[in-house]
Amino acid sequence: VCKEETVCVSMCAPVKYNIRGPALIPRMKTKHRLYYITLFSVVLLGLIATGVFQFWPHSIESSSDWAVEKRSVHDVPVVRLPADSPLPERGDLSCRMHTCFDVYRCGFNPKNKIKVYIYSLKKYVDDFGVPVSNTISREYNELLTAISDSDFYTDDINRACLFVPSIDVLNQNTLRIKETAQALAQLARWDRGTNQLLFNMLPGEPPDYNTALDVPRDRALLAGGGFSTWTYRQGYDVSIPVYSSLSAEVDLPERGPGPRRYFLLSSQMALHPEYRSDLEALQAKHEESVLVLEKCTNLSEGVLSTRKRCHKDQVFDYPQVLQEASFCMVLRGARLGQAVLSDVLQAGCVPVIIADSYILPFSEVLDWKRASVVIPEEKMRDMYSVLRSIPQRQIEEMQRQARWFWEAYFQSMKAIAMATLQIINDRIYPYAAISYEEWNDPPAVKWSSVSNPLFLPLIPPQSQGFTAIVLTYDRVESLFRVITEVSKVPSLSKLLVVWNNQNKNPPEDSLWPKIRVPLKVVRTAENKLSNRFFPYDEIETEAVLAIDDDIIMLTADELQFGYEVWREFPDRLVGYPGRLHLWDHEMSKWKYESEWTNEVSMVLTGVAFYHKYFNYLYTYKMPGDIKNWVDAHMNCEDIAMNFLVANVTGKAVIKVTPRKKFKCPECTAIDGLSLDQTHMVERSECINKFASVFGTMPLKVVEHRADPVLYKDDFPEKLKSFPNIGSL
Amino acid sequence: MQSRRRKYLWLIFSASWLLLVLLGAPRLRQLAIPPSLRPRTLTSWPRWLDQELLPNFVEPEELTKDPCPPSCSTRQWQRQRPGCLMETCFDTSRCQSHGFKVFVYPVGLTQPISEIHHKVLASIEGSGYHTANPEEACLFVLPGDALSPQLLPLWNGGQNHLIFHLHPGSWPDLGFDLGQAMLARASPKPETLRLGFDVALPLFPQSYPQRGGSRGQLAHLIPPPGEDLLAFESQLDARVTGSSNHLDQSTILIISDHHGEASEHHRDGPCKQDHNTDQSEDQKRLYNSTFCFIPPNCHLGSFHLLQALKAGCIPVLLSSGWELPFSEVIDWGTATIMIDERHLLQIKPALQELPPARILALRQQTQFLWDAYFSSVEKIVHTTLEIIRDRIFRAAARPWLLWNAPPGGLLALPTFSTQPGDFPFYYLQRGSRPSGKFSALIWVGALDQPPLKLIQEVAGSQHCAQILVLWSNDSPPPPQGKWPQTTMPLMVIEGRKKKSDRFFPYSAIGTDAILSLDAHSSLSTSEVDFAFVVWQSFPERIVGFQTQSHFWDEIKGSWGYTDQRPNEFSMVLMDAAFYHRYYHVLFTHFLPAPLRDLVDELSECEDILMNFLVAEVTKLPPIKVPQRKPLQEVLQHAQGEQPSRDCISKFASWFGHMPLVHSQLRLDPVLFKDQVSVLRKKYRHLERL
Repeated sequence: VCKEETVCVSMCAPVKYNIRGPALIPRMKTKHRLYYITLFSVVLLGLIATGVFQFWPHSIESSSDWAVEKRSVHDVPVVRLPADSPLPERGDLSCRMHTCFDVYRCGFNPKNKIKVYIYSLKKYVDDFGVPVSNTISREYNELLTAISDSDFYTDDINRACLFVPSIDVLNQNTLRIKETAQALAQLARWDRGTNQLLFNMLPGEPPDYNTALDVPRDRALLAGGGFSTWTYRQGYDVSIPVYSSLSAEVDLPERGPGPRRYFLLSSQMALHPEYRSDLEALQAKHEESVLVLEKCTNLSEGVLSTRKRCHKDQVFDYPQVLQEASFCMVLRGARLGQAVLSDVLQAGCVPVIIADSYILPFSEVLDWKRASVVIPEEKMRDMYSVLRSIPQRQIEEMQRQARWFWEAYFQSMKAIAMATLQIINDRIYPYAAISYEEWNDPPAVKWSSVSNPLFLPLIPPQSQGFTAIVLTYDRVESLFRVITEVSKVPSLSKLLVVWNNQNKNPPEDSLWPKIRVPLKVVRTAENKLSNRFFPYDEIETEAVLAIDDDIIMLTADELQFGYEVWREFPDRLVGYPGRLHLWDHEMSKWKYESEWTNEVSMVLTGVAFYHKYFNYLYTYKMPGDIKNWVDAHMNCEDIAMNFLVANVTGKAVIKVTPRKKFKCPECTAIDGLSLDQTHMVERSECINKFASVFGTMPLKVVEHRADPVLYKDDFPEKLKSFPNIGSL
Repeated sequence: MQSRRRKYLWLIFSASWLLLVLLGAPRLRQLAIPPSLRPRTLTSWPRWLDQELLPNFVEPEELTKDPCPPSCSTRQWQRQRPGCLMETCFDTSRCQSHGFKVFVYPVGLTQPISEIHHKVLASIEGSGYHTANPEEACLFVLPGDALSPQLLPLWNGGQNHLIFHLHPGSWPDLGFDLGQAMLARASPKPETLRLGFDVALPLFPQSYPQRGGSRGQLAHLIPPPGEDLLAFESQLDARVTGSSNHLDQSTILIISDHHGEASEHHRDGPCKQDHNTDQSEDQKRLYNSTFCFIPPNCHLGSFHLLQALKAGCIPVLLSSGWELPFSEVIDWGTATIMIDERHLLQIKPALQELPPARILALRQQTQFLWDAYFSSVEKIVHTTLEIIRDRIFRAAARPWLLWNAPPGGLLALPTFSTQPGDFPFYYLQRGSRPSGKFSALIWVGALDQPPLKLIQEVAGSQHCAQILVLWSNDSPPPPQGKWPQTTMPLMVIEGRKKKSDRFFPYSAIGTDAILSLDAHSSLSTSEVDFAFVVWQSFPERIVGFQTQSHFWDEIKGSWGYTDQRPNEFSMVLMDAAFYHRYYHVLFTHFLPAPLRDLVDELSECEDILMNFLVAEVTKLPPIKVPQRKPLQEVLQHAQGEQPSRDCISKFASWFGHMPLVHSQLRLDPVLFKDQVSVLRKKYRHLERL
């Protein structure tokens, strides 16, 4: 295929060389005409060949671009299995991930994602040409398609860590056990079943119905629907649901909270007589609230019996009727796993599961306590009182949870396949496993809940002290005053000056004030406001005091007290001047407020204590483009920090000490900040901008500030711990 | 002609040349790259032309039929199967009438038992579940693990019996047939543990503290610069140690080994218990590393695990070989890093890639788990009992969050609620908030007059929902008409005239917030309003007005408390304080009866006990808000020597440590005593003296 082009390359080069100068041409006009034409046609040929390449590629280069085959299932290759072909051993009950699974195949993967290979589809027949099983069912085809479309998939057998045979064993009743096992054993990478994954939903066969697939399968992992404690290999097998085709057929919109007509409903048709009599006794006792449905006997022609249920003469639509009940029975039948569980969850009805020793679907990661009630078979008669003891609010929560489980993990073969692979993935890379909350919390809860990164209630030891970070540009005199003042605070452990001026060198070492703690100067590469919030390695304490180089109106008592307050609220911003955001009804947007108000929702970071971790968050985890926006506008870094902390902790700021001027006594404007209109407009704009980036208004409004216990109390000043509060 | 043709020729020639280059170049480039490096599209699973016609894996009718053979009858099924489950080996009907009660066989029945078993028994006897009457017991605990239980009168094949097996060295020889008895075993192997039936314990030495125990020792939530990445115990087998050499030595510390020989010897045999309790050197190193590798070593693994938790060093565990303590309820993924031992070479890159947010969360979780479940024998034993209780009363079991977020399962009682959103400490995590009203609970003691003025002041608050008068006066309460006329529902509860009644979870309390009052307290409406608004920001703490401070009395060698240290405080008085109604549940059901009896006998102890309890849960001080009453008056009001002084010491010894925490701040209204027009101030009445 490539030859034409290679030829062309070798030929073209001399051509190019020869024709370089127009002066050469007249000399060879007749002599080389033939040569000329040959050249010309070669070029043309090359052109044509390239064109063919471009516009008809998949016929030439196979397995690229258009790789999806359009074939019929009936055209797949047939494989004849000799009667004496090797048979795998029965499943080994002692298998665990660290004994039977070969993790070396998965290797270390920076993405912590396993690679899954799917064997191509074949049709297996025995010596007499009789098929071993149905080639493939619709559900198994959906499952394999889902895997193939996912990030887990690879088509390279050598890179794969997990292998999924295309031999369909979802339903044990549709296959011949011995021959299927032989078919498995001859797969290319079978290797005693190591790292092979089989999906089975209906195990066992009459009369005693084993709870795991009977096909001998060596060490293969089994994703099975209907495991019992005795067959389930904890941490090796995966328990999956039995897929209900109603999931795809029926569209049941989620039903909101509120009372439902029936308290308890049973919709299963083939119940053991003992269970049925128990249920009927229950119904007799609680007429109105319990409904036991049965198979309809006198349905007219053409009505699907699976979609109707009857009670006496009443006919109910199934599964719609499930939405009318608070609790729905899921009783074991011959098999432990019941497809009705999926229908019940879809209807947002809380399943009452009566199947001793049943391993619930995905129980390794799903918290079924939140979505179901499990009752031991022996206690079935007490069931009603147990269920009645559950408060209505909890029932509604469970209903929501049940519906969420169905949506996330039951509703399609794809959902089932993805959950199964994720569970196996989590076992192989346990340090990168998905958390409990991610598996179990419905999206609404994930949205409304706040997980504070500093959740441990812990008062840091006072001895650690704090690091003061002074952001400065060139106001050396004022800077030195600030340094001298701050160094008087007993708990100061280090002072860091962030020199934000690239055009000017910081003063010489000898000129700096002599203070009792280490003083370090960090020079920045660019004059950016975000330099103030960079998590410098020099910060060794948890507490950080951000302070501007012009804040000289704070006493050592006030700063020390601020540090004490921070120790009690280490997950909050603890600052001095407070600000408020307000909703402007006329303009329908947020407004910045710096007047004397009874509330605060922000503190200025011109002087504020906060946890070092927030520096990390500001620098690396600030949502959207806020960080660049702040640097570009040279404003609102403090508002951004307030948003960030409030959003991640869900808590309000703490304002410390009374309100006053902070910069210079001479300044006329309050706080030395220019109160002119443009400033306020700009700040309001910041709030609106940040609220839209965060998608919410995270700031919390409070009506309190922190003062020393004896502040302004009638008590001798000299006996107070912090007498100099509000004195400047 | 000639030149024109030549021109023509030229034009065509160069044009086709250009075309060729344009079209051919990408193709050529592609050919130049070897196939292995070329980006490839995947061959995916085929989309069958006839996939819509494929048969279902099962016919819907068949699914609904699912014939139930005789063998699926309940009882038969159970008898066929070996092994033990809660459903099959535990008789929960014993627990229905009297609830979860635990009986301990008298020690005299058996051979002398070890010190550690004595501690275990003392812990059970100290719990609220203990009963001396075997008739009402639901669970029976053996006083040791070396006796022939067949001699016990109520053995019954071991049903409902629990054996604490704390000397894993003697495994597998318990010396008798376990039968249906549950085993709470230190460092069990997964294959010997009956999942969901036995309980996995950590291994702890004889010298382990009975109660209290030391707090977690993490000083920095974020690893400070210069902290080691990973501390290794060198008790690894050759394969593992060999691989550790591949890791960067500069960041990995190999801890020297005091006891390698012994553990090598005991790898599969019995392990001595105490041979590594003197770990001072290793301990110091643990504090200096972010991660600690815990080798899956004999039974000591779980002891090392505890040491690492305490030090705040994130345990790195191999995901095979042992069952982690209380793994039934504790989500160890939130506090440890698990790694497949065959991926050991990747430890370093894997750890280095962990985001700081994860490390921060892991470090905090180690401290929480240590403090909540492992720091004392009592906590370990109580956790065991609570796990079994949760199994028996499934519908009222603790959800995941209660076990895995502070303050933890022992302090979050499912008898209050199984919804985390109802507890004061989980509001933020569940996105819920406390109800916006409070109930005033006024205690009228023996000498008090009906608090008519107080009722009026409190009823004036816009946040008040109801007023409950707890009548503990000897005279009968005044009739309906004698109470002040308010729009608030007022209810009189006649108590048992015991002080501990104050903190009983009355069903009449309809709000999350309670304002606890004495008949003689004097409060104004605005004080109440402001305090309640503050409480809404701190629903897990007590918010009060008058304070006291505890201190260690060097001379007497005991704890004392005073209100003469007004610069700080650690308790607020309950004669005027807001708190969450959950603390009534804790006070009544978590604290043991003897402590409540003490409160009934001695005066002024109920304040202290409530403050102890809340501080134990929150680990934080209460909150003080301003009151109008001048401080001097408050100080003069104080008595000289408190008669009940020793109750603080008694409480401290019961808790095993001093839970109270000092605070130096008071929360005032934002404009409190600021120099601004009083008309601007919302709580202006707070400033008027």
